[in-house]
Amino acid sequence: MTTPIRVLIADDQVMVRQGFTVLLDAEPGIEVAGQAVDGLDALDKAAELAPDVVLMDIRMPGLDGIEATRRLTEAAGSAVKVLVLTTFDLDEYVYEALRAGASGFLLKDASAAELAQAVRVVAAGDALLAPNITKRLIAEFSRMTAAPRAPLKDRVGELTERETEVLSLIAQGLSNAEIAGRLVVAEQTVKTHVSRILVKLGLRDRTQAAVFAYETGLVRPAGY
Amino acid sequence: MLKVQLVGENGASARARARKRLAAAVKGLPRALREDLVSGAVGPPPGERPGWLIWQPAIVLVLGLGALLLMIVTVNNLAFGVFRGSGMQLALLLGGAQSLALVVAAFRPVAAWWMAMAVMIAVVVVMELAAVREGRHPWPSGGPTAIMESLVDRGGLYPWTGAGLATQGGVLLLLALRHRFRAAAGALVVTVLVGLMCGAGAVRFGAPLQVSAIGLSTAVLTIAVVVGAALRGRQVARTELVVQEGITEEERARRALLEERNRIARELHDVVAHHMSVISIQAQVAPHLAENPSDALKENLGGIRANAVEALTELRRVLGVLRSEEAPAYGAPEYAGDGTAPHAPQPTLDRLDELVGNVRAAGVTVTTDVTGRQRPLSPGVELSAFRIVQEALSNAMRHAPGARVAVAIAYRSAALTVRVTNTAPDRPVAPSPGAGHGLLGMRERTAMLGGELATGPTPDGGYEVTAILPTGAPAPGPAPSAHPPTDSSEDTTP
Repeated sequence: MTTPIRVLIADDQVMVRQGFTVLLDAEPGIEVAGQAVDGLDALDKAAELAPDVVLMDIRMPGLDGIEATRRLTEAAGSAVKVLVLTTFDLDEYVYEALRAGASGFLLKDASAAELAQAVRVVAAGDALLAPNITKRLIAEFSRMTAAPRAPLKDRVGELTERETEVLSLIAQGLSNAEIAGRLVVAEQTVKTHVSRILVKLGLRDRTQAAVFAYETGLVRPAGY
Repeated sequence: MLKVQLVGENGASARARARKRLAAAVKGLPRALREDLVSGAVGPPPGERPGWLIWQPAIVLVLGLGALLLMIVTVNNLAFGVFRGSGMQLALLLGGAQSLALVVAAFRPVAAWWMAMAVMIAVVVVMELAAVREGRHPWPSGGPTAIMESLVDRGGLYPWTGAGLATQGGVLLLLALRHRFRAAAGALVVTVLVGLMCGAGAVRFGAPLQVSAIGLSTAVLTIAVVVGAALRGRQVARTELVVQEGITEEERARRALLEERNRIARELHDVVAHHMSVISIQAQVAPHLAENPSDALKENLGGIRANAVEALTELRRVLGVLRSEEAPAYGAPEYAGDGTAPHAPQPTLDRLDELVGNVRAAGVTVTTDVTGRQRPLSPGVELSAFRIVQEALSNAMRHAPGARVAVAIAYRSAALTVRVTNTAPDRPVAPSPGAGHGLLGMRERTAMLGGELATGPTPDGGYEVTAILPTGAPAPGPAPSAHPPTDSSEDTTP
């Protein structure tokens, strides 16, 4: 860890902001760069401070966290990762947050260790956060009966067979190491595949790759 | 019933079961008739009191006039006409009794029917006795020729008189109106049978047998019963419909109340869950703030956190249930358009200006007036006050277009007074179907906090909503600027 992960905390409750600041500052390799009191403030602060990760509350007055996430991740050239933190693990929240471009989803009552771990995973981008979120994602997408969108489907064709295979494993929540084990290749090879997939599909990270895989119907949730 | 069974018997070519049923029906016939025509004569008609009974005085008046007319005809007939032979006194008695039956039928149809029957028999008996007394009766010993030669004209409808038939028809009609069909049918059958018996007796005494008269009389009486029964059937159906509508209305009101309570419960649990998650965070933060936290302190804070997390889990379950009851999905804009975004936190009075601003943007003139020492209140009070203002504003916009609205919030020492008034609408409004729903929510929210709600029209044609929400003792010390107040949840209990 050479440079610490810089975090911006966006929440309308002062107690939450202060609490997370204390908890994350105590973690090695993580540094709280600033705080934002609502969605619009988060956009301003993100532009100003250029954090690596934004901890985003969903329910905020003015601009809510979902919309703020969408604007943050859609901004051209932005590499910021959004970790959505909320009181309720509602399916709609998970789904909307991930669709809006969030890289992870965590409950506010997560322990300090879980919180730090989540920030590191999201910043590194080499694993999907929390397998249970992946399960929810599967459940949520399996409920959608709409046909996969054609332009997305076309883009799958740009992937090689191996890359498609890797993508489906990402969507199942496997980490790079696990995928390497499964395909009997070096982890570095998997990393290369993953970054090529992201570039080809124009995606931010593996979470969004998983969302893509489900949305295109590349991966069919098993057991549904 | 009986008729159906009889038909069934004929059609089913004497099946044992049908026979048994018929036997039971026949055996039960006297009892059924006794029930319908004897007990029914004493007590009031069973079942509901039909709506047309409010017309009873008018009906009685008409019946009374008709009865008077019939009485004149009958008395005239009995004393001087073709039925002559009875004395004036007897004629008055019988005619009076017969006419009275028609009036009584409005109250006690079965008793009236008995009266009419008795009068009919009495008339025949009196008639024949008079004929015998005056020697107009040829005795059967006189032989058929004598009978033929001394025919006495007793009127075309004998054994009924014209007036008598009208009376009986009227009585049967009223009976069919007020009693179930079985009773009316039984009365009809008995009437016709007794009429036939009287006729047969009279024929034996020498009167001519007039088949056409019997047919005509039976037809008139049957029509009376059928018309009465049909009217009654319609009335019963309509009454049932009204009852059903009443039930549906009640059901709808109950549903609205439950939905409102559900919404309130959901919002409050939501607020509590947010507080719980803050507690869980603070319990983790606290050890970091102490210089050298002791193990006991850490353990204690760990316990607080564990409990908060556990409570949160339970709260999420409760909210899951409450949300599943809700028609729109949580992400759906429940309050969109009236001041609250879908992903916004539960509102507090801090956002009053925002709410009023939205209403102003819709073209409504709204004034606000906040008095007293402004301070953060418990989340329940803040939320309820906001929602009451919101509902009142929404009602004013819906029911009083063009009216000026005034919102007054008064912070008192132990209560918060919320008052929303509007002037009279500048144009008439059609009553909207959603009326009353908002008031229901206000009432529930106020009642939950142990407060008071007063709503009603103002003398100038406007409307006023006043809610007094107890806040408990004011919290000491300066208020934190951030919403919602995280330190005053114990103020909720009044």
